[in-house]
Amino acid sequence: MIMMKMKMNTEMSQSEDGEINMAAWILGVKNLSIQPYPLPSLGPHDVKIRIKAVGICGSDVHYYKTMRCANFIANKPMVLGHECAGIIQELGTQVQSLSVGDRVALEPGISCQSCSFCKGGRYNLCRGMKFFGSASTHGSLANMVVHPANLCFKLPDNVSLEEGAMIEPLSVGVHACRRANIGPDTNVLIIGAGPIGLVVSLAARAFGSPRIVMVDVDNTRLSIAKDLGADETILVSTSIQDMENEVVQIQNAMGCKIDVSFDCVGYNKTMSTALNATTSGGKVCLIGLAQTEMTLPLTPAAAREVDVIGIFRYKNTWPLCIELLRTGKIDIKALISHRFGFSQKELEEAFETSAQGGTAIKIMFNL
Amino acid sequence: MGKGGMSIDDNQGEEQNMAAWLVAINTLKIQPFNLPPLGPHDVRVRMKAVGICGSDVHYLKTLRCAHFVVEEPMVIGHECAGIIEEVGSEVKTLVPGDRVAIEPGISCWRCDHCKQGRYNLCPDMKFFATPPVHGSLANRIVHPADLCFKLPDNVSLEEGAMCEPLSVGVHACRRAEIGPETNVLIMGAGPIGLVTMLAARAFGAPRIVIVDVDDHRLSVAKSLGADDIVKVSTNSQDVPGEVEQIHKAMGAGVDVTFDCAGFNKTMTTALSATKPGGKVCLVGMGHSEMTVPLTPAAAREVDVIGIFRYKNTWPLCLEFLRSGKIDVKPLITHRYGFSQKEVEEAFETSAAGGNAIKVMFNL
Repeated sequence: MIMMKMKMNTEMSQSEDGEINMAAWILGVKNLSIQPYPLPSLGPHDVKIRIKAVGICGSDVHYYKTMRCANFIANKPMVLGHECAGIIQELGTQVQSLSVGDRVALEPGISCQSCSFCKGGRYNLCRGMKFFGSASTHGSLANMVVHPANLCFKLPDNVSLEEGAMIEPLSVGVHACRRANIGPDTNVLIIGAGPIGLVVSLAARAFGSPRIVMVDVDNTRLSIAKDLGADETILVSTSIQDMENEVVQIQNAMGCKIDVSFDCVGYNKTMSTALNATTSGGKVCLIGLAQTEMTLPLTPAAAREVDVIGIFRYKNTWPLCIELLRTGKIDIKALISHRFGFSQKELEEAFETSAQGGTAIKIMFNL
Repeated sequence: MGKGGMSIDDNQGEEQNMAAWLVAINTLKIQPFNLPPLGPHDVRVRMKAVGICGSDVHYLKTLRCAHFVVEEPMVIGHECAGIIEEVGSEVKTLVPGDRVAIEPGISCWRCDHCKQGRYNLCPDMKFFATPPVHGSLANRIVHPADLCFKLPDNVSLEEGAMCEPLSVGVHACRRAEIGPETNVLIMGAGPIGLVTMLAARAFGAPRIVIVDVDDHRLSVAKSLGADDIVKVSTNSQDVPGEVEQIHKAMGAGVDVTFDCAGFNKTMTTALSATKPGGKVCLVGMGHSEMTVPLTPAAAREVDVIGIFRYKNTWPLCLEFLRSGKIDVKPLITHRYGFSQKEVEEAFETSAAGGNAIKVMFNL
């Protein structure tokens, strides 16, 4: 077990009543430890939040298993977690939009707000993004965090803190549906019925999609998808030889043209299926980030003007997600399959459960 | 079936209509081409200028292109312009003597794609020289009047024929939303890369960098207005170095890249070189299956836009030519008359590539 020495700054990690702020740190591969987490001082536009609900994401599990995610290698301890909601404890001097005691959902990423991407509204592409639990920015699986007030969104009375934490994954679905222009005319194919495929299906329906077909290799996930509202589900294989037949099955199940396909997995087979199944002039949205290099029938798809739309996180989605949850247009609660408290033992169990997949969809910490 | 067929009967009364038929691999023959009677909404056009396209050459060499297969003799050619000889009974917009540029494809006008304006995607499209529809390298053809566009006085018949390839560039620039803020990278300085460059400039692109493996093509591109040119290799290992060179040459981020070649390497370069949130337009049709770093590009929200032919481009092309905003004439490098010998020579020249950009028939 690798133990890394951590600077214990009790002055900053201790609040006025002597509470030491604790967080879930990743110290090494499969080495999680709840240890003190000193907070920075509160800036004029910041708030301090007592975190109440945190979900585990596939990227958190990736760090847990490998100490890396995409191009980033974690070489020092980092606090994990980014899907979160909590209660405002303290306000910075210039904060007027929130009050102590407000229940808020947090948008994880602090962008620079001065580059051309930020100023053009595509802040999710900011190269200087500081994102909870990613690339040496500490995450939010902690008793408390300090965060800009403009990234904390007040929850309506009828939306729980757990639902607030679910807004982060739901945002990926919402952003994808916006980029793909989902509406009452778009019949949708979703490849992959994991947490992302499921939030995409909920978002697509909320955006008005009339017909949704979902495919996966796992029957349990497909039956959950059906319960959550998919019109049809199809069990597919991992074998590329089966693709041609599966495309026919999928098109038959849809019964009409497939306008938009969401690949929530990101393998050659899933992307090839999407490109072949989508109608001319349609779109394939690549959300799942599995392989780096892909071998695909790209030319025949491009020659039918099937466009490939890329998705990276989200932008300006919290207000819409809150509204969709408030009105009940989306019910996200069914995705929370497991709950754990914030202790060393439960922390380890929670990550193991999430890592195993299967019947685990969203693992939620209640702090 | 396309309009017309092979028959000795000539129902035109005067001279026999002749066309260039693709009868076997590498075999073109000028033979009679029977025209159908004129429908009420049709016109009969005397062909004056016909350009050769890469697809025409492909059919000549292999009798196929993508999934289309030539199964019986077919008239070749689709980039054309001519003079109206006769108009159908309901035609009000054109009169005999009008010089027109011709849009090749007759769509069905009944399917969803047509009704939504994306008629280039019509599954029942009847397109000159895409089997089994006959082409337009002929003395005369019959065609719907609404697909014949009157040329302004200062636009020649050859320029009219160039509207067809230029339309591919225009359609690509529209789909990629080229404008005064989009810095453009073009992979491939062949005819399509060049028309894309001319179109991009006309749409306002402030900076255009074009790359190719061939020095001569690059110098042509420079003379036609590219801001900078970069010579690249066919070796995949060179991609990172070339992306760096491209960024230096651009001096700014690449907003849109047009891959007018369509190979793994060009697409890989395009995906790597384009800035986050930008677009890669796949215009060239190389290999069917491609191996490319799609995920890192998608994770930067670089979108891949497909291009198939064009829609509603003739009026804009003619306006660009009329105003001089685009000058396509330099792209015509070789000219031939309409005789058996010259037809064969013309296709050989086009197929050889090299210095040949657009080979034009004058009939």
